[in-house]
Formats: sequence, structure tokens, C-alpha cells
Amino acid sequence: MTAAVYEVQGLTKRFGPVTALDNVSIVLGKSEVVGLIGQNGSGKSSLMKTMAGVQMPDDGQLVLRGRPLRLRSTSDAARMGIGLVHQEQSLIPNLTVAENIFLDKPCDYFRHGVYRWKPLMQAAKMQLAKIELDIRPDTLVEKLTFAQRQMVELAKVLSLEETVEDDLVVMFDEPTSMLSTPEIDDLFMQIRRIRHRASVVFISHRMEEVLELSDRVYVLSDGKQMAERRKAQIDCDELYELMVGRQRSTEPRRRFSRQGIASRPTLELAGLQVGASVGPVDLEVGQGEIVGLIGVQGSGSEALCRALFGLEDIRDGEVRVAGEKFAKPSPESAIARGIGYLPAERKKEGMVAGASIVDNMTLTFGFEYAVAGLVANRAREHREASRWAKRLKVKAASLEEKIERLSGGNQQKAVLGKWLLGSRLRLLVLDHPTRGLDPGARGDLFQTMRELAAEGLSILFVADTLDEVIQLSDKIVVMRDGKVSAVFGDVDNHPPAEEDIVKAMV
Amino acid sequence: MIRSFGPLVVLALLVTMVGAVSPAVLAPQSLAAFITDASPLLLLVLASVLPILLGGIDLSVAAMATAATMGVALLAPHLGSWALPATLLIAAAIGCLQGWVIAVFQVPSFAISLGTLGMLSGFSMYLTSATPVPIDADLPLLPLLGETVRGIPNAVFVVLAVWILLIAAMRYLKLGRQVHSIGLQERAAVLSGVSAVRVRVVVYGLSAACAAMAGILYVSQTMFSSPTFADQMLLPAIVGVVLGGTAISGGVGGFVMSMVGGLTAAFLRIASVVLGLPPTSQDIVYGLVVLVAVGFTLDRAKLGLVK
Repeated sequence: MTAAVYEVQGLTKRFGPVTALDNVSIVLGKSEVVGLIGQNGSGKSSLMKTMAGVQMPDDGQLVLRGRPLRLRSTSDAARMGIGLVHQEQSLIPNLTVAENIFLDKPCDYFRHGVYRWKPLMQAAKMQLAKIELDIRPDTLVEKLTFAQRQMVELAKVLSLEETVEDDLVVMFDEPTSMLSTPEIDDLFMQIRRIRHRASVVFISHRMEEVLELSDRVYVLSDGKQMAERRKAQIDCDELYELMVGRQRSTEPRRRFSRQGIASRPTLELAGLQVGASVGPVDLEVGQGEIVGLIGVQGSGSEALCRALFGLEDIRDGEVRVAGEKFAKPSPESAIARGIGYLPAERKKEGMVAGASIVDNMTLTFGFEYAVAGLVANRAREHREASRWAKRLKVKAASLEEKIERLSGGNQQKAVLGKWLLGSRLRLLVLDHPTRGLDPGARGDLFQTMRELAAEGLSILFVADTLDEVIQLSDKIVVMRDGKVSAVFGDVDNHPPAEEDIVKAMV
Repeated sequence: MIRSFGPLVVLALLVTMVGAVSPAVLAPQSLAAFITDASPLLLLVLASVLPILLGGIDLSVAAMATAATMGVALLAPHLGSWALPATLLIAAAIGCLQGWVIAVFQVPSFAISLGTLGMLSGFSMYLTSATPVPIDADLPLLPLLGETVRGIPNAVFVVLAVWILLIAAMRYLKLGRQVHSIGLQERAAVLSGVSAVRVRVVVYGLSAACAAMAGILYVSQTMFSSPTFADQMLLPAIVGVVLGGTAISGGVGGFVMSMVGGLTAAFLRIASVVLGLPPTSQDIVYGLVVLVAVGFTLDRAKLGLVK
């Protein structure tokens, strides 16, 4: 490694009680490509955002070319020649390519709010030529393909060259996740081209990509830097092991028996194609079975769950519920077939903020307890709701309290309770049910899921962590790039190793 | 707190103030006259509450009332007393259609209902050549609405009945809960199995029927259709809704206090006269009140950005 260009020393970043980065140190050399490897939530993106001035660290420091650096914003970072090519693209769709490239830079092309279009277009053309991007600078960004937009983002970062004397630091946050193979090859070519005048940090959830591109890799797990490896020393199996890190499950898996197995599975998916990028997927969930889906972000497990509730477009294939064909899913028709769905976005999709806990819990099935199915029987609804609230251990002074006043865990329990109030519920689809929950609430939730399964309810859930999926599932289904990459059945008797699951994920 | 007692406090203050200046206003006869006069407005307030609870707005309520006065006048020679239910049904059908268009084509309700407003008042003008049409057919039901029982105008009973039915529906029918949940957080409501389309169709239908009833009460007092009835009613109706503590951001509020808000809005007219403001300045008062009341009741956390 040549002299360090950009150093991160003992960086710590907390979000409330969660420590996203825990004393992380990395070094970036001149003209070096460094890869970051880790699971979802391991801190890769957080690290990158802190290095690019998107967020400020709580502790530790950044050192650029030997001098300590304090980044208050991305434009601070831009002035120092540090740019981030975003995972969620940061271009403004209804502006031209040229405007987007120079938007964040002090320049003469729109001083005092007056545009000077000609020199602006000229300058943009030059920037686009640098990466051989053949589009007109006056094109609106919304007219471009996803891959083209990514390239414009790169051009935007590279245009810092003219304003900064030293070499640039360019960071890529999952740039390949939405690209096709030829587009990825093209991007990699560009990254190799720019390295003679820039140092590069690169994140991808596909391990082979990181290994192909990087001179060195850092492995992160749970916000900690686990290891640093040069390209020559890399042993893939060891990397999988390091990625698992602290997440290795400590408590032994509890066995629990299943009863009353019906002849037909509760849910059958055959060749299901969801949107353009997920599928075909075959999957079965038996009665009283807990099936855990796991994959990196964008692997398709979330989309699969949402499709069952009519929230994603089913292009092809078949869904069967208890043997019967389920043609066009919508929330209403799914509920009529006994499917409940717990969304990952609790605040937007799971709960009705502003309404009370009991009104939330009785929103879907409250009228099962109504007089003649028509006139609400508030007392009975209330009794049912508090029965479930007690069983789920919802901590609230009263069920009349507004739901948004509860802690995240208790909100999640109340939302779950909404589905459990239904007497004909067959299948629960849980999308990241433990997201944002404290360990206590997590434990309660796991306990309830096991009990419900033992009573015959089928559960399909998207897991946040390896530990969770191994702890809870009867069957583990691993997804990668929209397809099922591995299935581990009979987890009870043959629990898979964490490394094997990670291997199928990345 | 503002939402639960605010409307009552505002009404009490207003009445006390006016009573102090001019005690005659609070005499039984003048109160009966006031309430008869206010009853169409009260129904328009109730009609406006439902769409606002959903997080939308129906600007066509007053125009619908106008159209209903015309409907009664035009249908009465053919249908007799049946002209009243027929008018209500047609109004409800138009309202349902409007709700369906809003829900299915995802057009903001203010835009659709602005179009409906234009069409309804246009039709009322066109079909009656912009002149009041007298109702001279034999129509026993209509004058009955205009009469009084022991000094209490029958119109009051109509308003009370509609009010109580709406309160009960919101409390005991599925509709009520669904309206509130859509108004508060539509995505979560839909993901809980609430049909946003069905609820909108029913809500806008109900709202239109209430508005038509307001028109019918108005005709029962004048025995003339009025092609310009709407011109003076839209603003006071919305003033009534917000003075009743219903937030125009949706989901929050309800019918109980809306009646108080409606009474306040109606009383404001008397108050401005008693306080010596020229009648021509009334809309200035309403305009100011709407700004202040919206400011107090709006749930700003729900608005992503100010448009």
C-alpha cells in the first residue's frame, strides 16, 4: 500500500440505542480500490455515509492526506474532493443532466440565479466525455435508464477533479444492485479507468464483485471491523465466517412440536414471477410451519411477501392457498382467504397513527364480533383486543391510548394483534417483524410466533438476521437476486451452519 | 383539549357577547327564527364533514343544495311529494359517482368537486334560466317541513335526526371506523383490508344526500327554487366544519362538535350584524375565521410539505 490518502480512525456512530459503527478504522491508499463486505445492517453504508459527509460521527475522526477533517455536509466533502455515488440515486429527475452535474458545486453557470446555458452545456459535455458517456447534456434525467443515471452520478462526482487539486476519493454504495451484467461490466471498466486519479471505496452485496474489483477488503459485522485482507490472502470461506461474526447464535435452538398437519400446504407458490426481477420462485408453507426467508437487501424476499397481498405485480406463476387457486391478490381478497400481512414499514403501512390501540387492533376483524355482523359491539371487541394485548404482552396504560405513544415493540405487537383477532386466520406473512425492536419485545414476539404455529397457524417471515432465521424457522429459504438460492428443510434435526446460509446469500 | 372543548367555548363566548350587546337576539322567537334560517347551513356543515374526515374535501356541497332546490321545483309537478325522495336519490347517485371518480382515477377531491360545483350550478342556472322557479304543485310534504310544532321549527327535527343518525353510523357501523382510518393513514387502512374505493363512494354519496336535504329545507321555507343559493353557502359551511374542530388534514374530528361549529358559523352572521358590521363584509369575517380555525386544528405532522 502506498501512502494513506483517506483514513478513518476509531469511528463510532449511534442512532438512538443502536450502535451502527463501533470503533471502526480503515485506510484508503492512493489509487487503491477498497471493498467493504458485510451483511445487511453491518454498518457498510453507515461508514460510507460518514466518510462522505452525509452524517457526522459521534466519535473518532477522519483524516484526509494527513490532516484531520470535519465534514458537516456533502458539499463540505465535495470541496475536499470526496464524492459518493448513491445507492438510492440522488439526481433530480426533472432537471437536465448538465444541471444535475453542477448542482452541488460553486460555479459560474448559474450565479445569482441566472442561468448561462451555453457554457453550462459545454462544461457538462466535457464531464460526460471523461467517462465516454454518450448522452446529450440537455437531456432530462427522468428520460435516462437506471444505468445511465448511475453514470451521470459518477460524472457528477468526477467533475470535482476540476475544482480540487488532489486526487479524488470516490465511493460507490451498492452500485450494481439494479444493473444488468453488461452494465456492470461497463461500470467496472469505468472504475478501473478512474483509479489512476482517484481512490475508490466499493460496496456490493455480491461477494464475487467485490473480490474481482478490490485490492483490499474490510469485513464488517455488527458495526465492527472484523478483518482486513489483501486480494492475495483472501479465502472465501474465511470471509463468510467473519461476516457471521458476533451474530453466531449463542442460545441453543428450542425444539417445539407441530401438530395437526393438513394434507395440503397452506401456501404453495409455483413459478411465481414478481415484477421484472423476482422469480420464478417455488415455495411451500405447510400448516403450522414457520418458514424463514433470508437474503440481502433487494434479494426479493420482501417483494415476494408483498406480492401475496397484492402490493407487487405478479407477472406469472401460481399462488395456491390451502389448495385453492388465488388468482389476483389484493389486501381484501388476501384477508378473505385468511392471510394477514405485517408490513416492514410499520409507521406508514402497519399502524394507523392517531387512532387508539384498540381501534387499530379491531380495524380488520372487529366486525366479526358485531351484532348481526353490522352494529359494532364495542364491549366485546374491547374484550377480545385486551385478551390478545395481554397474551402479546403489550405494555400500555390503556387500550384507548393512541398507538403512536407506544414503543416500537409494543406498536408491532398491537399490529400483530390486529391479525390474530381474526378467527379464520390461516397464514401470517411477516415482513421484517423484528425491525427496530428491543431484545425483550423480540423475545415476546418469537415466543408468540412459536405458540401460534403450534396451534396450527402457518407463518412466512422475512428475517433480519441469521440468528433469527435459525432460531425460529422450521424451514429456511435463502434468496439471492430474486431467486431461491438454497433451502434448508428440517432445521430442527439438521440446523444449517451460519456460513452456509451466508454463502447462499452473497 | 382545543378540539374537545374549543368549539363550545367559541360558541359560548360569541353568544354571550351578542347577548350582552343586544339581549333581544336571544328571545325565544328570534332564536326560533335563527334556527330555521340556520338549518340548511347546519346540514351543509354535516355534509362537508365526511369528505374532510377522509382527508379530502367536497366543494360541491352548496352547489348540490342549489341543484336540489331546482330538482324539487322541476320534479314536483310530475311526482308530487315523491319529488323530495327522488331529489335525494339523484343527489346521492351523483355523489357516489363523484366519490368513485376520485377513488379510481386518484384525482384530488378538491379538483373533482370543483368541477362538480361548476356543473351543478351551471345546470341549475341553465334549466331554470337563472330565475327562481315557484313551487305551486300540490306537495303536502314540503310545507310541513317549514312549519313549527309548539314554536319549534320542524326543520330542527330534520337536522337533529340527520345529526344523530350520522353520529350513530360513525360510532357503530364499519363505515365510521374505516373513514377515520383512511383519513389518518390511508396506506395502513388499505393494508388492513379497508376498501378505499367503496368507502369513498359511500361517503361522497352520503355527503351529497345531506347537501340535497339542505336544499330541500331551504325550499320549504321559501317555496321557490334558488339558482344562487350556493353563492353564499360554501364558505360558511367550511367555516362550520373547522369551527367544529375537524382538521382539514383528515381523520381527526367528528359530527358531535360539528353541530356546535355549524351553529357558531350561523351565529357569526347575526353577530356581525349586531356588532354593526355591514352585511357586505360578512365574507371577510368568514374568511378570517376560517384561517384562524384551520390554523388551530390542522395536524401539521401529516403534511409532508406545504403546497
